[in-house]
Amino acid sequence: MSHQLTRRQILHLATASAAGLGLAACGSGGSAGGTDGADGDSGKITVWSWTTAAEALRGVVPSFERDNPGIEVDVQDVGNPAIWDKITVGLASGGKGLADVLHIGVDYLPGYLEKFPEGLADLSRLGADRHKDAFVAGLWPTVMGKDRAVHALPWEVNPLGLFYRHDYFEKAGVDPASVTSWDDLIAAGPKIRAATGAQLLGLDKPGTTQDMDFFQNLMQLQGAFYFDAEGRVTLASPQAVQALTVIKRLNDAGLLADTAGQGTWKRLVGQGKLATAPYPAWAIEYLATKFPAQSGKWRVMQPPAAVPGGGRGAVVNSTYLTVSATSKRRKAAWRFIEYALTKPTEINRMFASGGVFPALRSAYADPRFSAPHPFYGGQQVLRSFVGSLDSGSGATNFTGDYGRALKLAADAQSQVLIKGADPAEALKVAAGQLARQTGRQQAA
Amino acid sequence: MSLAPSESAPAGAVAAATGAPAGRGVCRRPGSPGPGRARPGHGRLLTRASVPYLLIMPAVLGFAIFKAYPIAASFWISLTTGNGDARRFSGLANYRRLLDDPLFWTALKNTALILVVQVPLMLGLALLVALGLNSTKVWLRPLWRLGVFVPSLTGLVAAGVMFSVILNHDAGLLNWVLSLFGVDRVNWLGSPFWARVGVVLVITWHYTGYNAVMYLAGLQGIPKELYEAAMVDGAGPVRRFVSITLPQLRPILLLTVVLSTIGTLQLFDEPYVLTGGGPDNATLTVTMYLYNNGFKYFDFGYASALAYALALIVSVLGILQVRLMGERR
Repeated sequence: MSHQLTRRQILHLATASAAGLGLAACGSGGSAGGTDGADGDSGKITVWSWTTAAEALRGVVPSFERDNPGIEVDVQDVGNPAIWDKITVGLASGGKGLADVLHIGVDYLPGYLEKFPEGLADLSRLGADRHKDAFVAGLWPTVMGKDRAVHALPWEVNPLGLFYRHDYFEKAGVDPASVTSWDDLIAAGPKIRAATGAQLLGLDKPGTTQDMDFFQNLMQLQGAFYFDAEGRVTLASPQAVQALTVIKRLNDAGLLADTAGQGTWKRLVGQGKLATAPYPAWAIEYLATKFPAQSGKWRVMQPPAAVPGGGRGAVVNSTYLTVSATSKRRKAAWRFIEYALTKPTEINRMFASGGVFPALRSAYADPRFSAPHPFYGGQQVLRSFVGSLDSGSGATNFTGDYGRALKLAADAQSQVLIKGADPAEALKVAAGQLARQTGRQQAA
Repeated sequence: MSLAPSESAPAGAVAAATGAPAGRGVCRRPGSPGPGRARPGHGRLLTRASVPYLLIMPAVLGFAIFKAYPIAASFWISLTTGNGDARRFSGLANYRRLLDDPLFWTALKNTALILVVQVPLMLGLALLVALGLNSTKVWLRPLWRLGVFVPSLTGLVAAGVMFSVILNHDAGLLNWVLSLFGVDRVNWLGSPFWARVGVVLVITWHYTGYNAVMYLAGLQGIPKELYEAAMVDGAGPVRRFVSITLPQLRPILLLTVVLSTIGTLQLFDEPYVLTGGGPDNATLTVTMYLYNNGFKYFDFGYASALAYALALIVSVLGILQVRLMGERR
């Protein structure tokens, strides 16, 4: 094969490429002016969401279209995680091809607001501020951009609870009311294991899925996170070290099962090999539908504190509806968001159909929140989650660098669990890398 | 878009090759009538010189828009930091950061390890398989050929998902089979060492057949007379393999080595699905790290710098391989 090009060939190639580049440049230059949105108040709006949430949103459409003639809503199930690539690419290309309404999780929203400050519409201008106190505490800072304007409305909030096998606790002679901190649970763990053969909980030890919820929860219970409110790195803070130390102690005591691999957690729970599950509210119906054979055996309590005497409330995550700034029908889109997220009847309808736990406080007055749940032996499970929301948890600052923090924390956790590293050391290295990669300061 | 540059070499070569006949068409002899005959309107557009250009136009346009433009744009992006609306020029900062980034070196080391261990293993295996398939003494040859080739038709993600089930620690097929022989369960995806072995296993499963079929084609192109002559001279099977088969296969060996090297350096789907790059970055590859930076951390500047670093490494390795293994003239 000859890779030698003649001078003429190179010239032709260069000319052709230059022509192509010129064309491409014309293309982007020509349409740049046309990407600005408009405040249209009628017509068809599209909504991007995923799976059960999309299904739930569709349930709102008939009444919304009845109450808002002239607006037509098309809810599209883009799928998760595909939706993040789609939104990211859309925002990076100046908002081209985005839907009018976008459903965004708290793990992405601050990143989008930080990196694409012009990407999501200013909802304060459309009157969003009047809903400031309608939602549970701690969420509002997340919806604000650097411009102090509101760019999203909270939809879903996932308060943390500790699901536990009531029958196992009873068999081991452990009184659930006596468990107020993870110290208590670590002390009770061997008794439960001896009596039932079950380990306390499961964790993806090699970190294949980068599911760091448990570590995050243990930090959130202490009012801490990867970053502080000013955006400084706190991954090596005493709270973070405490969180990882709890995980290490669970592991060292043989109370932590490895749930890496698809379906492993489900199988272990199905076989009765896990005694607890620290999960948010969505797990209420998940457990009930996946493990009907275990009906009556599970209960829920407020999560144990990460340090003895510490706080027992944490918001695991939350999701939001936003309007893309390039939407031609921003007013119509806002009308839909406001309708779906601030009316207790609508939001509870979505809760019933899609299991999306509402962030809207007035929704909790509904009788369903105090209904006894047969799967949990008649316990008023929802009430206990609402109660933990009331006990208050600080806002968590995910920042635009959450993805990096998550990755580095997952690495540190696998180092501790697989290679026996020291939590403080592993986190110190991780925090140093996080600061260097993101150009952020480390908190003192 | 930043994933494109590493493919630039083959794409560029294709465009250059298709450009060649067009170049010849331009040199029209003075005074030649041209194919336009006497119809002025058509004569302008469809000349002997222009037709080749028109024929290659779709390919060149496609290359310009989907390859050349992203390649150029991502080079520009690699010289900037900040994101979205707040991008600004930062010179070589991203490249300097690259040299100082432990994760980049980890990813590069992992990739190199897979390259050094997996590529020779796979190509050796493929050659053995090809020799077997080429033997006239084998029954049902078309069936075996099909069976060997089929894995490479499987979607990469599907293969990854399938192997994540097979390699599952508690309920996986492989551990079950091992247990039949009294071997302890292996934590395939949970320990850094075995996770690498797992990834090597998947890639080998996926691409061995593909390479074997290429070798098979090469083997069948070797003239029988060479072997007959060698046998007359008293050469045994090993001698025939070393002195005839290998030298005759040299062009194809080179092709598969270069293609496998490029493929390994761009390794993404299998570890992405199988291990997510873990545990503790044991299977993080350069392209995975690139993807994370671009599409998870929105750091397109750094991701583009990674892409250019990778393209550079691929080119250097490719040139080296061609120099070392290519025909001596």
